[in-house]
Amino acid sequence: MKKITTVCPYCGTGCKMNLVVENDKVISAEPAMGRTNEGNLCLKGYYGWDFLNDTNLLTPRLKSPMIRREKGGKLENVSWDEAISFASEKLKRIKAENGPDAIMTTGSARGPGNEANFVMQKFARAAIGTNNVDHCARV
Amino acid sequence: MNKYIFADSQSCIGCRTCEVACVISHQEDRSLSALDPNSFAPRLQLIQNAQVTVPVMCRQCEDAPCARVCPNDAITREDDMIKVNQERCIGCKTCAIACPFGAMNVVTQNKTVGSGLFARDETRALALKCDLCTDHQEGPQCVKVCPTNALRVVTPAKVEEVSANRREAAAMAAMAVS
Amino acid sequence: MSNAITEIQDTKCLLVFGYNAADSHPVVARHINKARANGAKVIVVDPRKIESARVADQWLALKNGSNMAVVNALANVLITENLVDQNFINNYTEGFEEFKAVVEKYTPESVEKITGLKAEDVRMAARTYAAAPNAMILWGMGVTQYGQATDVVRGLAALALMTGNFGKRGAGCGPVRGQNNVQGTCDMGMLPDVYPGYQKVTDDAAREKFEKHWGVKLSPDEGYKITDLGHKVKDGSCRAYYIFGEDPAQTEADLAHLRKTLQAMELVIVQDIFMTQTAEMADVIFPATSWGEHEGVYSSADRGFQRFSKAVTPPPGVKTDWEIFCLMSQAMGYPMSYENTKEIWDEIRELCPLYAGATYEKMEGLKSVQWPCPTEDHPGTSFLFEGNTFSTPSGKGQFIAAEWRAPMELPDGDYPLVLSTVREVGHYSCRSMTGNCSALQTLADEPGYIQMHPSDCEKYGVKDQQLVWISSRRGKVISRISANERVNKDVVYMTYQWWIGACNELTIEHVDPVSATPEYKYCAVKVEGIEDQAWAENYVQTEYSNLKSKLRTAARG
Repeated sequence: MKKITTVCPYCGTGCKMNLVVENDKVISAEPAMGRTNEGNLCLKGYYGWDFLNDTNLLTPRLKSPMIRREKGGKLENVSWDEAISFASEKLKRIKAENGPDAIMTTGSARGPGNEANFVMQKFARAAIGTNNVDHCARV
Repeated sequence: MNKYIFADSQSCIGCRTCEVACVISHQEDRSLSALDPNSFAPRLQLIQNAQVTVPVMCRQCEDAPCARVCPNDAITREDDMIKVNQERCIGCKTCAIACPFGAMNVVTQNKTVGSGLFARDETRALALKCDLCTDHQEGPQCVKVCPTNALRVVTPAKVEEVSANRREAAAMAAMAVS
Repeated sequence: MSNAITEIQDTKCLLVFGYNAADSHPVVARHINKARANGAKVIVVDPRKIESARVADQWLALKNGSNMAVVNALANVLITENLVDQNFINNYTEGFEEFKAVVEKYTPESVEKITGLKAEDVRMAARTYAAAPNAMILWGMGVTQYGQATDVVRGLAALALMTGNFGKRGAGCGPVRGQNNVQGTCDMGMLPDVYPGYQKVTDDAAREKFEKHWGVKLSPDEGYKITDLGHKVKDGSCRAYYIFGEDPAQTEADLAHLRKTLQAMELVIVQDIFMTQTAEMADVIFPATSWGEHEGVYSSADRGFQRFSKAVTPPPGVKTDWEIFCLMSQAMGYPMSYENTKEIWDEIRELCPLYAGATYEKMEGLKSVQWPCPTEDHPGTSFLFEGNTFSTPSGKGQFIAAEWRAPMELPDGDYPLVLSTVREVGHYSCRSMTGNCSALQTLADEPGYIQMHPSDCEKYGVKDQQLVWISSRRGKVISRISANERVNKDVVYMTYQWWIGACNELTIEHVDPVSATPEYKYCAVKVEGIEDQAWAENYVQTEYSNLKSKLRTAARG
């Protein structure tokens, strides 16, 4: 059994917590003495981790890249190589035809974290060439 | 004197973390994944109406009406608290009616007993109320998880301390009159 | 937030405006309780009798949509009763005279009809706020999710400015951010007008710095916002949309319109952890690692950088978000690669003076660094504006006044009720995470509730726990009545994470001109009872199973 110190993913308070892990599975969560939560958690912190075990109570976890070859078609599992080249070819064509501002990107204010968002906006600004960058701050 | 759990309505924010902690504490393997809405029966229940927000639970009464009325002697006073011997409970619900706090919850569970040819379904009754998480080495789980510390264990010593403070205050008030 | 959340305990007066800590941030509610225990006066301004209102010294139950009028009336009292800090105004602020001219006519008496508040109550609140040696204002979506939001935020900041409530411990303003890393996404420049560290894309010096560092020419034009998408797609100027870790098909206002926009796109890329309703509409899906499976830094609502860690191995087949962006970037002809998140973080520090000193080492374990943190020996900043220097060009605090504007869609004969969307303590955002958690799903599941005052229930012939239809000019959904004395008459409240009871089918895409946040807190609806409740219960279950099975089927590929 090991304890991993992390931050709760559920609100802006930023509660520090430990995930208790056994055999590569989370078995419980406990509060840590973070700056703000001072050894406390709410119900989402205590009981909000079991989605990691792919419970399928609501929605299934995504485990493979998928593409829809044409509108109205079905999503199909493909390799990473195929998904990346499918997506990037389309983006390149749109950029060539209409300019980079024909592409919109939005980041994630949730689990991914600051580094992932930094890299996404860098991708949008440096690789695509647009400031069309926004996120779901308003909901 | 018995100890009991007190809930402070001024601090409670109605988040129900206590209810979940209670149910998990009383699950066989204390696992989160076994929770389901049909069998969710916390031993303390949040009341949230126009005036108040607070969980209500057993007060471990000294002269417990539930114990007095139980026809099968399933409810007894032991280790400074009121205990239910679930093996003796027949599910008559008299205790639930007698409890002035509405803190006794009689539920039924369907269980398969025996095996092979002799397996049969049996309905088992349980009279559920706060047992101060006696089976849990960390003590009452609702107290432990409450994010606003609205719940606490009140021991006889604590009751005496509060009373002593009140007597002190009363004496000072009397002095003000004279 | 101008102050650390922990400073709430140090304040002597808390003005809680349109913010329900009990449901959105229980641990902040704990700090509010502590402030009370430490002798702070608590004033709650909210149409509902929320938990903080129940225990507050004063509860101002304002009418929905009257925020600006209430704020102007509070300012009016502070000025006319001479409760302001004239010294602070003279030395550290600008624009007070112009501000005064606007709020002059907003006597609490004159706006009673708009606000629904007795003038004397507004006066009492203003006096309590001004009397405190240090006071904090906390606000939430009850302020920001209106067509008139930015104006109200400026008005609240003006209350703090005119009473000298900035630049010291336990004094300031706190918009308590909802999602765990919404502060972080802003910090990282996930906005159309700024690079990471709030450096303007239109500022030549800033742009040149990023161009030099990234070795590429960057666009000098501001981009467009998510709320501009509808018409950009309609006029053909936007053809592709890369959606990272969110579910707009659940969370945006006026969902029918949003779905049309997504369908009209040539390419929709979704990078997520679950098959959400948005993912199901995508042309490309990139499966990513989840919280718990990767590491990095989050920014809490009070500007606190904190490290989160990997606890378990991700499922095979998924990749870390930043790796996916690097692969895409490579394929687009701009090579980008990193070894780990620390390398990315160090690039962020190098490019952003505000965060330069916040090293990974300083955030080890339980530690947290609040920006600004300009150098490695800097401890970080608990409260902003020390010495009363503000982040404006002149360094002075700006008074900006505005007239009250009514919400866009007022109730009428056809749609007689106001709908306001709110939060549920046990669920988060679109609920793709919490809906897959046993305990949280046990506490609350489809179709959710519509909270309605008992007298309205009687008026519209519906009963507690019954299923009802709710419709607006944009959509129609089914939900369950919660007869609730804590809500005001003529207004109903729904939480926004449900699929069947999806209140965003009803909401209106009317946005604040500056923040572009939709008016989630106000649109007109009607509620209709359903004769055959057994049919309705069955309908909810069937629809719910169908939706779940549709997403499961899609995920199989």
